[in-house]
Amino acid sequence: MGQLALLATLFAPFLGSVVLLFIPNREPLLVRAVAAISAGTALLASLYVFMAYDPDQGGFQFITKWAWSEELGIGFHIGVDGIGAPLVFASAILLFAGIFISWHIKDRTKEFYIFLLILAAATIGVFMSLDLFFLYFFYEMSVLPMYVLLGVWGSHTKGYLSMTDEEGRKLRDSVGFILNFGSNSKEYAAMKLTLFLSAGAVFALMGILLIYHFSPVHTFDILVLREVAHFDGTLATIIWVLVFFGFASIAPIWPLHSWSPVGHAAAPAATSMLHAGVLMKLGHFSIIRVAYEILPDATRELMPIAAVLCVFSIIYGGFVAYFAKDTKYVIGYSSSSHMGYVFLGMAALDYISLTGAVIYMFAHALATGMLFAMAGWVYDQTHTRDIPSLGGLVKNMPFLAGAFIIACMASVGMPGTVNFIAEIMIIVGSWEKYPFQVVVAVLGIVLTMAYLFKMMRGLFYGHMSPEYAHARDTSQWVDRLPLLLMIGCSIFFGIFPMHFYNVVRSTVVPMLDRINQVAPLVTQNATGLFP
Amino acid sequence: MTFDLTLSGSDLLLLAPEIFLTIWLCVVLAVDFTFKQIDHENLAYLSVGGVIATLINLIWFDYTGVQGALFKDMFVLDGVAIFFKILVLISTALVLLASIDYVKSFKFFKGEYYFLVMMSALGMMFMASAQDLLSVFVTLEFSTFGFYVLVAYLREDQKSSEAGLKFFILGVFAAGLLAYGISLVYGETGTLVFSEMASAPGSIGLAIGFIMIFAALGFKIGAVPFHSWIPDTYQGAPTPVTAFLSIAPKGAALAILIRMFYVALATFKPTWVLLFVVASILSMTYGNIVAIAQKNIKRLLAYSGIAQIGNVMIGLAAGTKRGSDAILFYLLTYLFANLGAFAVVIGVSNLIKSDEIEDYNGLNRRSPFLAAAMLLFLLSLAGVPPLAGFIGKLYIFVAAIEQELYTLLIVGLINIVISMYYYLVVVKKMYINEPHDPTPLSVSTPLKTVIFVGIAGTLLLGIYPKPFIDWAVDATLMFSNITAPTASDPAILTSLAGG
Repeated sequence: MGQLALLATLFAPFLGSVVLLFIPNREPLLVRAVAAISAGTALLASLYVFMAYDPDQGGFQFITKWAWSEELGIGFHIGVDGIGAPLVFASAILLFAGIFISWHIKDRTKEFYIFLLILAAATIGVFMSLDLFFLYFFYEMSVLPMYVLLGVWGSHTKGYLSMTDEEGRKLRDSVGFILNFGSNSKEYAAMKLTLFLSAGAVFALMGILLIYHFSPVHTFDILVLREVAHFDGTLATIIWVLVFFGFASIAPIWPLHSWSPVGHAAAPAATSMLHAGVLMKLGHFSIIRVAYEILPDATRELMPIAAVLCVFSIIYGGFVAYFAKDTKYVIGYSSSSHMGYVFLGMAALDYISLTGAVIYMFAHALATGMLFAMAGWVYDQTHTRDIPSLGGLVKNMPFLAGAFIIACMASVGMPGTVNFIAEIMIIVGSWEKYPFQVVVAVLGIVLTMAYLFKMMRGLFYGHMSPEYAHARDTSQWVDRLPLLLMIGCSIFFGIFPMHFYNVVRSTVVPMLDRINQVAPLVTQNATGLFP
Repeated sequence: MTFDLTLSGSDLLLLAPEIFLTIWLCVVLAVDFTFKQIDHENLAYLSVGGVIATLINLIWFDYTGVQGALFKDMFVLDGVAIFFKILVLISTALVLLASIDYVKSFKFFKGEYYFLVMMSALGMMFMASAQDLLSVFVTLEFSTFGFYVLVAYLREDQKSSEAGLKFFILGVFAAGLLAYGISLVYGETGTLVFSEMASAPGSIGLAIGFIMIFAALGFKIGAVPFHSWIPDTYQGAPTPVTAFLSIAPKGAALAILIRMFYVALATFKPTWVLLFVVASILSMTYGNIVAIAQKNIKRLLAYSGIAQIGNVMIGLAAGTKRGSDAILFYLLTYLFANLGAFAVVIGVSNLIKSDEIEDYNGLNRRSPFLAAAMLLFLLSLAGVPPLAGFIGKLYIFVAAIEQELYTLLIVGLINIVISMYYYLVVVKKMYINEPHDPTPLSVSTPLKTVIFVGIAGTLLLGIYPKPFIDWAVDATLMFSNITAPTASDPAILTSLAGG
């Protein structure tokens, strides 16, 4: 049953995109219905997987293994552990919400949903791959749909749109404009994102090939490699650096982050949600899956690099977000700043902080998903992302304003949301090893509060320009459902985190024991350990 | 050297595909001359029927394991030969189908077109079986002969004539090099058969001779620095001919290259590995970087083809059985993606009479089918999962890392990123830009068939490549004892491991 549910989570969106190929574009309602049904199936199946994961047993569960190519040592091997399960669930939530957020897209609806479903299915695939080949396969597969989604359905920045004179238009249409760093057009963003991520991916692929070559058994199977492959010395360092920076480029760690805010800003709302919500977590997840599992010694020795870089991520992202004037840039930089927390949680190699980091990935997916969804709604209504020119929208959008406040609270980490639990665990768990970083992280929370409330005030309060008087609130159920779903999940797991905590911890503890070379502890009952 | 030309029936069986195709192309020509009023479309279907029958014959050979050698090893039928013959014939059938609409725009010589395409295919089938320097020369020239005519087929078009002339002059030059190289090798070793050369001692004459032969074959596959004819010829030739030129002769020449270097030169492996490493790095880097600047889709695909051949040569540089498996599989993936991309180009140029990338603007709005197909083919060429090209590249890289060719691997991986840029620029034009002229485009049935075959191949090889990988592995069984994959060099291993 669990196996079937896991397969359904992966293949329902793929199947949906194949079915969509045969539906004509002139029937948009049918297109949306098919997309929603396939995403709904994935959501229910992933919920089952998440709830049915047995934390007492731990390890990888719901495993399916099919031979794919014995010649190359590749098997289609999927299954989830306590880290994969919640992230699969988060991907499915965001996909389902994203389908409804994009309900009003009129231009080439069918193509949009096809690419969106492939993107989400590929990310889900990464979170359940137990074979390095398929991990990379799905990873790279998730990058390419982003190009089309951003390029076709994305939006330009203010600077680009102001180039309306003859010369400006000509410049806008030239191919070389893609490389114009000042422009931030959607084409530029899409190209930059794709090339950056592909470059990162090939670094990681180099690392994967080195693992394949130097392991005693020529296989890509992670479960086999973690038992038989032992790397040390320079070779381990080289592989670790390739794998870490290759995957960290999507995470995105400073200084490899520059594609990320640009990409977030240009993307249509549903794509930004998936991008910030789950695509960025592919980086952390893949590092955990490859480096933590296969290179435990190198991870122990080299993870301080992440602890250093995450400080820059947090501070730099936070300050740029504070001064940004574009709604999506604020959220985009805030995302790359918040990803620093995950790196901090991972770097400490403490079971509380790593559990916190995993929960944080889930929590951040929901919080940033909400923020991007609402920024997208505001953009659809006003056709601008420029904060200074907006204001006073609360009169037109009371529901949205309320939801936005909740989303900001979640993003900051108010008690009652799952973000609070995650943040407090990262801070508590890392304090012993990295007190300086923890201080920075706490200051980062203050900074988060500052820029999010500044943006909230700029959007919803103050004076409203008369040209936005026609803007309306989310009134239909299709518009409110995704927001309520994400808010509901965030609060539910904020109040009842025990199952979630147990699931994550059941995987994190043995993993860290291996890395820290501690003899495996007698499995403790986790209930009651949580403060 | 004496020739014993007594042929038994079972010997003739080995030649059955070639004999059948020879008869069939005479039939096609005869039908064309006899029934003047016959529709040229039917002539095309007649030709495709013959090619498919030959294909079935070869698949049956492969299935039942018919193998052997004729004329003192001048002609061999083994796994590699059958594989490359099938590759050539699939591309021939697809090119014939894709030509139907294009040929309609010719003013005369419509029937001969199909005859010439099949004749080149016949030459390339012999190339795949050449195991002897003499037959290499004869078959190579035989196959190129048809192409000389085909490239210059558009008589009124100056570009086509220019392409034909360029191709001819450089082709003849390459033939001269080949003949000179062969004579040097013969002088040094006293034999023409590959398997007999393996024991020959190394000498300067031998080295020069083989470098000349390599140059001539490098001309055929379009490897840098022998690529200079490729862009102009590809641009000027009729597009179906370009499509044919971009895959079939490359495959056949690679069959010869693999045989020559794996069998005749097995003992000099350390030397020629360097040759392929250099040629591969140059081809990949040059092809990809110059492709960025192209404004014509045929030129873009020409440069991308140069880069792809660079990738193939990684497999040759590995010089192992794994390397040859990877080459065979890679060529299959390249066949579907590249022919598919050219089929889309043919479709677009039939309708809007242009090959400029600028005219692909908004193709997604004009014909979602063509744009989606092109997207798949280009991404497969770029090596994006779940498409065939990705598995092909990975296979090649696995072969390379087993031989610890790190430089080549790093250059190859970086080139993936570079190539992604120009493929994505075409995607940008098709999907993001708005069309200048929004009239919908429709595709004819034969061309649609070709595109569907391309899509099916690209997806199948990407998602379920196992049977094809197994086929490639079986086809090259004869190389398994020649250059066994050496275990990782202990010196490098210890130095890397810090020991």
